[in-house]
Amino acid sequence: MATALRKDVIGKEYPPYAVTVERGKIKEFARAVGDLNPFYLDDAVGRASPWGDIIAPPTFAISFRDESADTSALLRDLGTDISRVLHGEQEFELHRPLQPGQTYLCRAKVLDVYEKTGKSGPMAFVVRETAVTDGANEIVAVLRHVTVVRL
Amino acid sequence: MKYGKIYVEDVKVGDDLPLLVKGPLAQIQLTRYAGASGDFNPIHQDDEFARAAGMGGVFAHGMLSMAFVAQALTDWAGAGTVRKLGVRFAGLVRLKDTVTCRGRVLAKTSKDDTHEIEVEVWAENQKGEKVVTGRATLRVPSRG
Repeated sequence: MATALRKDVIGKEYPPYAVTVERGKIKEFARAVGDLNPFYLDDAVGRASPWGDIIAPPTFAISFRDESADTSALLRDLGTDISRVLHGEQEFELHRPLQPGQTYLCRAKVLDVYEKTGKSGPMAFVVRETAVTDGANEIVAVLRHVTVVRL
Repeated sequence: MKYGKIYVEDVKVGDDLPLLVKGPLAQIQLTRYAGASGDFNPIHQDDEFARAAGMGGVFAHGMLSMAFVAQALTDWAGAGTVRKLGVRFAGLVRLKDTVTCRGRVLAKTSKDDTHEIEVEVWAENQKGEKVVTGRATLRVPSRG
């Protein structure tokens, strides 16, 4: 039984939210991946590096979320639930590494929603973008997410 | 300690990246990754939930495999060199699967003091099935 996804979310911008990167979260992320690069884990190596402190691994910004918001807001806006959702594609554009103690502002918006029928039946694709800026409003990273919803 | 591990001069189009083999994947790693990333979708933790959702059981976060691909890039080129990484999640990674990350140099560009390497990246399971495919741009130093 195919149910259409709500398309009125296209163009929707979610309220900006701030994330302060904690040193321990960078290390927890690197260890969870099993990536023991000293530039992520060793404070002394970080201090002596061109960045003056440890840096986060390339995909760390995926952990940024609006802790004050209802995390199911997008799913509800789309009219689906988490058991129907798969990660289709992901892109990171990194202007410089993320670092501990820094506060970043995240702005997320829905770029597109389209439907296609694949091997496993009808699916909808939700394209989102999250722009991450620093305290000087300079762009640090851009994340593009394609979420697949099984209809 | 130097962050950059390769110089633009050392890289040739067509070069293969060193393999990075991760796994076999255990449930505890998916649980740790959930905590680290904040993605607590029960589809990666709860086998009953994943079966009821029609997924045939628990599978790994796509983002965990993407982090493995990122590690393959930084193990080769050094921390902080990744400027862009884009992937498609082509297949599910299951518990006990081994994920092998591979890559190949597609192009090199140098403009003034900025040297970038374009790399095709992918990851495959122990059956040789691609689970991640993508591209990356790395910024690396010059010997000059």
